[in-house]
Amino acid sequence: MDILLCLKQVPDDSVEIYLKPGTEEVDLDNVTNVVNAFDTYALEMATRFKEAVGGEITAVSVGPEEARNAIKNSLAVGADKGYLISDPAFENADTLGRSEIIAAAIKQLEDERGKPFDVIFCGREATDRATGQFGPQLAETLGTGIICDLVDIEQTDEGIRGKQETEEGYHLVESVTPCVVTVNKPPYDPRYPTIKSKMAARKMKIPVLSAAELEGAEAGEPNVEIIKVYEPAKREAGIKIQEETVEDSAVKAVEMMAEAKVL
Amino acid sequence: MNWDNREDVLVFVEQKEGGAVKVGLEALGPAQVLAGLTGGKVIGLVMGEDNAAAVDKVSVLCDEVISVEDENFKDGNNDALTYGLEKIVEKVNPAAILAGNTPLGRELTARLGKRLGLGSAQDVIDLKTEGDQILWTVPVYGGTVLNDIELKTLPLMATVRSGAFSKPEEKQKAEIVTETVEVPEEEIRSKVVDSVKEISEAVNLEEAKVIVTGGRGMGSKENYHLVEELADLLGGVVGATRPAIEDEWVSRDHQVGQSGKIVSPALYIACGVSGATQHVTGMTNSGYIVAINKDEDAPIFDVADVGIVGDVMKVIPVMIEEIKKRKEE
Ligand SMILES: Cc1cc2nc3c(=O)[nH]c(=O)nc-3n(C[C@H](O)[C@H](O)[C@H](O)COP(=O)(O)OP(=O)(O)OC[C@H]3O[C@@H](n4cnc5c(N)ncnc54)[C@H](O)[C@@H]3O)c2cc1C
Repeated sequence: MDILLCLKQVPDDSVEIYLKPGTEEVDLDNVTNVVNAFDTYALEMATRFKEAVGGEITAVSVGPEEARNAIKNSLAVGADKGYLISDPAFENADTLGRSEIIAAAIKQLEDERGKPFDVIFCGREATDRATGQFGPQLAETLGTGIICDLVDIEQTDEGIRGKQETEEGYHLVESVTPCVVTVNKPPYDPRYPTIKSKMAARKMKIPVLSAAELEGAEAGEPNVEIIKVYEPAKREAGIKIQEETVEDSAVKAVEMMAEAKVL
Repeated sequence: MNWDNREDVLVFVEQKEGGAVKVGLEALGPAQVLAGLTGGKVIGLVMGEDNAAAVDKVSVLCDEVISVEDENFKDGNNDALTYGLEKIVEKVNPAAILAGNTPLGRELTARLGKRLGLGSAQDVIDLKTEGDQILWTVPVYGGTVLNDIELKTLPLMATVRSGAFSKPEEKQKAEIVTETVEVPEEEIRSKVVDSVKEISEAVNLEEAKVIVTGGRGMGSKENYHLVEELADLLGGVVGATRPAIEDEWVSRDHQVGQSGKIVSPALYIACGVSGATQHVTGMTNSGYIVAINKDEDAPIFDVADVGIVGDVMKVIPVMIEEIKKRKEE
């Protein structure tokens, strides 16, 4: 299977992000960028899939020079090749714009290789805006099939079969290839690179694809405008009970709950 | 606002197991607000194999129902559903398209957005109309920051978060229009070959008055029974953090948080939960929050009305006894 993997860098989602006091500016000063959690799940699933059926993984990311790190990390884990799609003209692309840019890059890479990618992996959503639009829009742009929210994937005679998580259980969905898949949290965690694999990844070349090389790649006019940025009303922290014994604390808490009439 | 000769508001109401999904009905609420601005109708769209029950529900909450029935439109066949929605949109020429923020709602609006070149607001928690401006409030960064966004394209398109809006008041049964949409074979690239139901009990976190949630701090599946016992005693529902689910102490439909359910019970008790943003974003609108954690610096205490610093295995049994005593009085 020839696999393409889309990666996005986002502000570290284990850090709580707020505004700079008195402004509408998001305070990202001390927040490092990391690979979107769902993309790390996609990388792991793609790697397991490759290990099971053979093939190759090509990782791409749209972003500034710094996004190179995302690709480097993937090369240290399971990806075989990586490309950075970077151009000042791409900077303000929204989701739709980004899917067009990546689609143009995919076409370009397919032309160079002389064959299409079979499965295109991405995360179900990015943890910053969490809209879940990218995968389906990429599939629409490429004119391929799409299966969202996979927690498992296998090969079939004609393409792939995916286990799609639903509220009550799962659907088994079959699709012809090429197909875009978006990945939810599978029952396993992404693996870590080893020192050796990190060293090897560091030596690998990551070519840059810019607007000049990508025919038809345009950020386009954004269809959405952010008018106001603010924080939701915060909850006030209440009372913390720490009596002599835990039993006393528990009794007191129940008393307070009774007073608040929530029992 | 210039609606470009569009006036109706189309709401895609999703079905599950032969019934209308709650958040789909809730989307009819903001649709009514928009229709007030455009002067058009609210049209509920139901697509599926057997629409009778859903159409019944929808018909008393809007001005017109469009029902498209065909085996192609069975749950999971998203290629057909996308095509069907696109065709109905062509026919109705709506001013706005709304759906619930479910996996299907997100996928359909994303695909339609690409096909028609539309922007959309996803996971909307509030709709504001200020003069000529229509603003959609969406959470970003897991909900610690909100954005009010304006859509630059018509029809407007949005998915709404479950529980954020109330469904409209029931009124007289609306006209039901039956449409047929033939889906060309080449439109179908993927197909559901099997649907498996793993979860038998119906967990209704979104409508629960009381939720007792156990986190990793519960330590084991055995200990988790204490959470269930406390929930039962209070007539509540059991919630869970992601680690508790990954350790298989409880099934995944109990998950509260960013990738689980967004809940707002009158009482929320968090036992052995650290208070990660991804969890807190799902429960911060609860009426009264009680947290039990042995670490006095746990972030969950920042959102709790009452925090108990201590071991869950010692605290919960005493709470259960105390509550029982009070109930007997
Ligand atoms: C993309 C993404 C989406 C996510 N979505 C969700 C989601 O929807 N819902 C969700 O819950 N998480 C989600 N997570 C995971 C989230 O980041 C946290 O890891 C998770 O919420 C932590 O769960 P926890 O509080 O049970 O465990 P921990 O963070 O490990 O906390 C356990 C707590 O228990 C306390 N404790 C331990 N032993 C005891 C004891 N004996 N008595 C009392 N207290 C004790 C500890 O002090 C600690 O505070 C998501 C993560 C990612 C990356």
